[in-house]
Amino acid sequence: MLDHLNSVAANPPRVVVIGAGGFVGGAILTRLAQAGANVVGLSRKQVDLLAENGAASLLDHLREGDTVVFVSAVAPARNSHQLIQNLQMAEAACKAMSQKRPAHLIYVSSDAVYADEANPVTERSVLQPSSFHGMMHAARELMFKAQVPVPLAILRPTLIYGARDPHNGYGPNRFRRQAAEGKDVGLFGEGEEQRDHVFIDDLAEITRLAIVHKSRGILNVATGTSTSFRAAAKLAVVISGNNSAIKGSPRQNPISHRHFDIVDSLKSFPAFNYVPLREGMQRAVQAEAS
Amino acid sequence: MKPVIGFAGLTHLGLVSALAAAAKGFRVIGYDSDAARVAEISARRFPISEPELGEIANNVGDLISYSSGLSALRDCHTVYISTDVPTDDNGASDLSGIGALIEQVAVVLSPHASLVILCQVPPGYTRSVRFPAERLFYQVETLVFGVAIQRALQPERLIIGCAEPTRALPEPYQAFLSAFGCPIMPMRYESAELCKISINCCLVASVTVANTLAELSESIGADWSEIAPALRLDRRIGPYSYLKPGLGIAGGNLERDIATVLRLAEVQGTEASLLNAFLINSAHNRDWVLRILHQEVLDLQPQASLAVWGLAYKENTHSTKNSQALALIACLWPWPIRVFDPVVPAAAAAHPALAGARDALDAARGADALLIMTPWPDFKDIGPHDLSKVMKGDVIIDPYCVLTPAVVHAAGLRHFFRGARHGLDRELVNA
Repeated sequence: MLDHLNSVAANPPRVVVIGAGGFVGGAILTRLAQAGANVVGLSRKQVDLLAENGAASLLDHLREGDTVVFVSAVAPARNSHQLIQNLQMAEAACKAMSQKRPAHLIYVSSDAVYADEANPVTERSVLQPSSFHGMMHAARELMFKAQVPVPLAILRPTLIYGARDPHNGYGPNRFRRQAAEGKDVGLFGEGEEQRDHVFIDDLAEITRLAIVHKSRGILNVATGTSTSFRAAAKLAVVISGNNSAIKGSPRQNPISHRHFDIVDSLKSFPAFNYVPLREGMQRAVQAEAS
Repeated sequence: MKPVIGFAGLTHLGLVSALAAAAKGFRVIGYDSDAARVAEISARRFPISEPELGEIANNVGDLISYSSGLSALRDCHTVYISTDVPTDDNGASDLSGIGALIEQVAVVLSPHASLVILCQVPPGYTRSVRFPAERLFYQVETLVFGVAIQRALQPERLIIGCAEPTRALPEPYQAFLSAFGCPIMPMRYESAELCKISINCCLVASVTVANTLAELSESIGADWSEIAPALRLDRRIGPYSYLKPGLGIAGGNLERDIATVLRLAEVQGTEASLLNAFLINSAHNRDWVLRILHQEVLDLQPQASLAVWGLAYKENTHSTKNSQALALIACLWPWPIRVFDPVVPAAAAAHPALAGARDALDAARGADALLIMTPWPDFKDIGPHDLSKVMKGDVIIDPYCVLTPAVVHAAGLRHFFRGARHGLDRELVNA
């Protein structure tokens, strides 16, 4: 649950997005600029947090009282090396921010911090990561909380999809690209697993809302509606207008589902509505075409 | 001569218990340090709302008297401590008030009088009270708001915590208890204190089962109202078991008992994860209306206007402590709301665009959705056809199923209640 330190929404003096070169950071930067925020994006070109002078280099770009959105990551962290790299990046950021304190910090984490079997997931579900990626985010949450003593909002998005996603992971993005090219859409097993897919613009908007309300606490970023991969593949084919076949494959892993109970979102931002999967996928197709 | 019974603390529990004692033909003294409260009660203007309260007060006449002076308790043979024991946000009891009251009462009591703690205290408390153990008792109360009088007059059994359960109870106390015509069950202080908690844990378990399976029923096309009667006919479950689905556990006392068990289990190292599961389940069910409302109305109609029936935490009470309606309204600040409650004024709710209505139908006028948050019996009398005429939208969210589903459906309204999603069976067939 988030609580809002600003009773009336207002843009802060300056927002710095660390990790603005990525899919998520870029979308947040764009949304904030559209909404008239004074926003600065830092990508690896400006600040390499893994460099020896990473902390000092970030310090040069920060001002006391900034609102900082930290998105930068080697993601997804697939092994211990990447886990440690991500922690080094967070350590450099903590060091810089302990010297020039922001007024408000937003950390974009992940729902991978929760136990795989946590259903329905809420912000009160137990943290029990089963992957390097989840462990990395859980550790970084703790680092920011313990080492940067300012109001902190932790956003935990579930699977994100949208235009220009470089990962092209299994799910709506890959499906719509396969369908657009008229290729077969491939499923693991028969695509029975249900997942919640969140549109990138929604994550950007929730981040903006957390900024203007100066929110602190934890919020999952998920629509509250889970869809099977097969249903998402069907949507992708329908949207493409092509006749791509949807093909299953021998199942390698047992079926698991993930559902979210999003009442905290309904309470934190009552007037905000998530984009349904069909509409989000259509918008992603249009955005990539333009 | 019949013993004289005293009650220290004219709370909801104290007042109801005192009137019930008088109704059994005993002379009763009600004491409370709040002189204004005593004056109101003496004038039969009661600060609580319970069915039959006024009638009983009239019937008992002068058998009961009230005072804000402690000395009034001097001639009592048995004095009940019936003050409120407040809880903090974590459900922990603040025992400072009851401790102070016991000390004050003990000073004025006659040397043979018994002292009976009637309010809810954690296990171990009664034994720690400094008062002669052979005259100190803990009696389990099972106050249920809205049916408190009936339960006080006809208890299923009387559970008495004693220092030494094999010793006979003092004669006046025994005479008083016998008037209720039900089993009297003496047991150790600690057993009686834990018995009260055990009763509530069983109730919470039933409610949690009902809510869990009612939610599943809503998703798979089952109807919990068809299932529950079958369970009640099972001897192992029983006709009075708490199987009516609702919005989680509420009221504060059940939460207090769960918190007490969790605290004791933590200290003693016993396994009690079930009780945490109760709390998680309850928190989830509490937001049922908010979920349905967003899904069916607010996500589709950002300009919706809403009607709320009921602000009291349950029917037949004025109490809004732990009110589900007030908690919901606090999450709906972007939307205008009209409210009606037969007892609680609209001002009890904090909301930037809230208006009180003169009656239930008036509250529903122009609303896109009606939320029936307290199952007041009066609401059953409102015809869905009349509702459909005054409402702008067609959504009735009625967690306790106050209105009759078939009639609501016939009026062309969409009815959402706990335990079933009518129409879903057809959707499942067509899917």
